[in-house]
Amino acid sequence: AEAEAEAEAEAQIDSELDAQAKYNKDTEHNNHNPIKPYHERSWKITIHTLGSTYTRQEQNEMRSKFSFLQFPGPVQMKHPDDEYLFIREVELDAMGGAVYPRHCKGEDGKTKKELIPENDARPPLACYFGRVLGNGTLGRNWRGSNRLFRYSLKKRTYLGPTSMDSELSLIMTNLAKVQKGSFAFDPFVGTGSILLTAALRGAQTFGTDIDLRVLRGRNPNENIVSNFQQYGLPPPELVRSDNSIYHRHFRKHLPLFDAIVTDPPYGIRAGARKSGSRRGDGEVRPVLEEYRYDHVAQTRPYAVSDVMADLLNVAAMTLVMGGRLTYVIPSMLDFNEEEDLPRHDCLKVVSVCYQPLQTELGRRTVTMEKVKEYDDRKRDEYLEGTWVNGPQSAEKVANIRERLIEAAKKKPGYEEKAAWRKQKRKETKEAKKRAKLEGAERSQFQVNQFNRR
Amino acid sequence: MRLLTHNFLRSNVKGTENGYPLNIEVTTINCEDSPLDKSFLLNLLPKVNYPALRTAVQQISQHCVPPLKEIPEQLDVSDKESNQNLDHETLKNLHRVLFDVYLIEGWLVCPDTGRKFPVKDGIPNMILHEDEI
Repeated sequence: AEAEAEAEAEAQIDSELDAQAKYNKDTEHNNHNPIKPYHERSWKITIHTLGSTYTRQEQNEMRSKFSFLQFPGPVQMKHPDDEYLFIREVELDAMGGAVYPRHCKGEDGKTKKELIPENDARPPLACYFGRVLGNGTLGRNWRGSNRLFRYSLKKRTYLGPTSMDSELSLIMTNLAKVQKGSFAFDPFVGTGSILLTAALRGAQTFGTDIDLRVLRGRNPNENIVSNFQQYGLPPPELVRSDNSIYHRHFRKHLPLFDAIVTDPPYGIRAGARKSGSRRGDGEVRPVLEEYRYDHVAQTRPYAVSDVMADLLNVAAMTLVMGGRLTYVIPSMLDFNEEEDLPRHDCLKVVSVCYQPLQTELGRRTVTMEKVKEYDDRKRDEYLEGTWVNGPQSAEKVANIRERLIEAAKKKPGYEEKAAWRKQKRKETKEAKKRAKLEGAERSQFQVNQFNRR
Repeated sequence: MRLLTHNFLRSNVKGTENGYPLNIEVTTINCEDSPLDKSFLLNLLPKVNYPALRTAVQQISQHCVPPLKEIPEQLDVSDKESNQNLDHETLKNLHRVLFDVYLIEGWLVCPDTGRKFPVKDGIPNMILHEDEI
């Protein structure tokens, strides 16, 4: 039976290699990197022990447990043909450290000293073993450049303060099962960074935003469309519209989108706004006809609780059955995944991935799937049912910016740091001013030279 | 903006329910060429409002160089099964009008109230003014 399993695994790998070879023939890049047959491929096993350290010897003991796989090729630690990854998962705290650390901390809080036997004896939460398909070393093509690095934000022509890093965007579009032929939608498209990764996966893309400046970019060479052109991708469809009144901008239509992937505005780095007058008294002055052409429509603050309620409702309305909504939500330590996530009768939570950012702040990538058809008549019901704990849960997300500032103010040394930062900003501003004047003087000098001739 | 998007946009100024489909006034228009993705198109067709698409094509066709080929006067696209039987030429023309024609500058006009929504740099601005909500 073991021999059979081995033969099956070999056949599986061989057929993968055949597919790979065919793919390589069709692409230009890999003529310098022919696929080796299975028994010649060098390999190594990488060990990831999250939140814990193991000595080289301990790691090798773990590696030897996989000797039954009997890879025929030679072991090669640097740039092997195949890399296998073993991950040993233990409980982690909010900062990514082990809840039951193997070693006790040294005096400086860092150096690992003795083993804590009870912690060391604890069984892992889970173990994972698999083959690495692409990463820092394997992702390189024959020119040596890392495929993933191509999409790094550092190389993007148009960026904004809210552009999502390419790694998280790729993960989000993966979670939303965006693939070739999908129709992907981002209702808060911003600079288009998430939509771009959807297009990379072969999807048709559609994005809306209420902010016209960010949609149109800085100039014709620095905008969302130029980002797509930078990667040779077909351009997205973009509309300036208000997601809180999606049903008023768009006709009633059959479910359209396979995936909705977005980073909603939480008021941390960009305030959320919706259409309508800022006047609290309900009296709206009519826009005079002669000014209507140039009129900049007023917008008013859009509460985070409503942002999420509207997002889930639009998703329930416009996703096809089985379609997915993936979004990011910032959360502080008091966030309870069971109770505080927004809900919708038509959507089911598929996964929640927590990423710690600072001691008290993290973000969750939530994926939901449409499991029930949307009923127009229940719109108000759906919206009211978003927050199980009522506005309290929404508040946990809404005031993060203020809470972070408050928390930072309480830390020791805050005032000195704030004063230092202020001084630095002043210096930078003055240096810029000086450079500008010198530049102007120089060009004036050149103009004078020219005139003298 | 392509006709694919136009097919779904409407005007709801002061709650009018007759703001669809929007009439198109062309200032600048571009035509590109993209390969036909048959499965995507077949998936999409049942959701498209065909009469609105046809009217839109008639409104912009004269501005396109080369002029757009005719699409059938009437077509029931609601059934996915029967769409599979559409001939290749029709599918190509449908693909062209939905995906390859870009309105860069122009106006989308509400057929009921006459309100004009501007299209600039290919992006339609559908935001309602505060007195139109």
